[in-house]
Amino acid sequence: MTTFVDLDVRPILAAGGEPFGKILETVAALGPDEGLRLLAPFRPVPLFQALGSKGFSYEDRAMGDGDWEVFFYRTGPVEFENGAAKSVGEAEWPEPLMHLDNRDLDPPEPMVRILAATEAMQTGEVLSALLCREPIFLLPELEKRGHRWRGGFDGEGTTYRLLVRIGAVNEAAK
Amino acid sequence: MIGVSLSRWTMSFFAAALIALLLALGLMAAGYGYPSAPVEAAPTLIVVHLVAIGWLSLLMCGALLQFVPVLVNRPLFSDSLAMPALLCLIGGFGALLLGFLWLDGQIEAVLPYFAVASLLLGLGFGLVVWNLAGTLMACRPLPLPARFVAVGLASVVLTAMLGMVFALVRGGIVDDPRLLDLAAQGIPLHAIAGLGGWLTFCAMGVSYRLFAMFMLAPELERRGTRAALHLGACALVIAVPGGIVAIWTGRSLDAVLIASAIAGLGALSLYGRDMLHLYRVRKRRAIELNTRMAVLAFASLGLAVLVAIVLAAFGVLQRHIAVVVFLAAFGWLSGLGLAKLYKIVPFMTWLECYGPVLGKKATPRVQDLVVEKRAEKWFLLYFISVWSGAGALLYGYPPAFRVAAAAMFVAVAGIGWQLLRARRLADVETGGRFPEGVRQPSLLHSFVQRT
Repeated sequence: MTTFVDLDVRPILAAGGEPFGKILETVAALGPDEGLRLLAPFRPVPLFQALGSKGFSYEDRAMGDGDWEVFFYRTGPVEFENGAAKSVGEAEWPEPLMHLDNRDLDPPEPMVRILAATEAMQTGEVLSALLCREPIFLLPELEKRGHRWRGGFDGEGTTYRLLVRIGAVNEAAK
Repeated sequence: MIGVSLSRWTMSFFAAALIALLLALGLMAAGYGYPSAPVEAAPTLIVVHLVAIGWLSLLMCGALLQFVPVLVNRPLFSDSLAMPALLCLIGGFGALLLGFLWLDGQIEAVLPYFAVASLLLGLGFGLVVWNLAGTLMACRPLPLPARFVAVGLASVVLTAMLGMVFALVRGGIVDDPRLLDLAAQGIPLHAIAGLGGWLTFCAMGVSYRLFAMFMLAPELERRGTRAALHLGACALVIAVPGGIVAIWTGRSLDAVLIASAIAGLGALSLYGRDMLHLYRVRKRRAIELNTRMAVLAFASLGLAVLVAIVLAAFGVLQRHIAVVVFLAAFGWLSGLGLAKLYKIVPFMTWLECYGPVLGKKATPRVQDLVVEKRAEKWFLLYFISVWSGAGALLYGYPPAFRVAAAAMFVAVAGIGWQLLRARRLADVETGGRFPEGVRQPSLLHSFVQRT
């Protein structure tokens, strides 16, 4: 569920300040399941475009007295990854050794090929795969087999890029 | 967690649903209920509820327990609520049928059939809605297909509440004049909320996602799709809460139903256009039997709408409403349901059996679990019988209707047998059926290995 972080820029503007930096800073700190609830003394139209390019959609509503409440939430590319993967860190995701383009395969063939490839790879190696949709039944299976994954849609929302790090759960446990 | 596991009890819902459908078709073939008996007679009520609750609702509940998580890409809110819900639904449904038999004078023992039916059906549907709504609530803002399902869930609550009022009134348990009025005039609202809101809306939502998935077509989130959702929801709000207000304020229901029908027609046209678009832009050229047979279900929906418009134009819709309901229930909802079962049962069985060893052992493909050529004739027999049955109803030939119902029974038994073979892996080559680590799946329960 999206939880919203509140940011009221009305005091900043009333004091003659420029809130744009503060807004971007808040957005940058949002987690994958977090959105921004912005309170402004006008309808912040330029922000719709600016945050839209970062994968955010919005819903706005006039609060009366000229004030606006705007909810920004993610609909575009967000990178998800399974559980403890965050603790592995960026540096420990080496360049993929295996690349699969499964975008034109009938389901569940992409899942079959990815699992076959992971069985042929060594612990610590990384596989990259392109898919045309989120591999919802594959992800729990990867976890059961002790692999870590991270994935998300590209900017256009048409290609899902998945990275799988072989046996990384066992590796972290050692 | 992100990702979806198998729903444990979906197969039990499907099995109970298919038994209820066969029972209903058997009764229809034997001349029980409409058109041999009046629409409001107890035998008709028994057949109607065997189809609406026993078959369609159990089928939809089972399917949603698996596919609502697919729509939002999150696990089900609770895995342990599904079985108690099924038991309550079956128990409540049994009590309802006994209540109708008692009304008909077939049973003499006076027991609180309708009170028990209200309680258990309310509880059963309540548990399913609680589970599915809990899954959806965790994933807001909802993707568009999931919003259709949310409207469907709201509708099943309304349908069940109206049904409970009718049951309590018929059982002589309540005598509030407002509720008596509702029970006397509210049947169309109950049918619209059930067939239109609950079953059709959920079928629409799930089909937007599944058809895109199975045909490798892009997901639709266009303006027409949103308009279909909004118009359809409007039709329901006008018909059901609007209809209740009309009944209670002593106004005619006709105007309300016409307004609702116009909005509903708009929604269905937009939905039809979207489905046509998905078939046209699909990347997968050769489509499987289930997707081909679904076309016949869509055609039946179109036919139901067309027949309704023509009958209304001649001012005889009310007299022949059974034809439209029959086409919607058997051609559209049941046809789509049977076609999709032919995908879902093999896929779930394949994933349960071979998922854990994929890549480690040579495994069959999903399509190796079925023999489409064998199933195709049963599907064609089914749809031809449905259309013939509708014709027999329209022209008022009960014997021809009974023959059509018998043919539908045979067709469903044939499809059911093919589903059973898929579940038992009977059509997989013996050599590759059980690689090491794979065992025969249980018929009614899906085994899910914990992470």
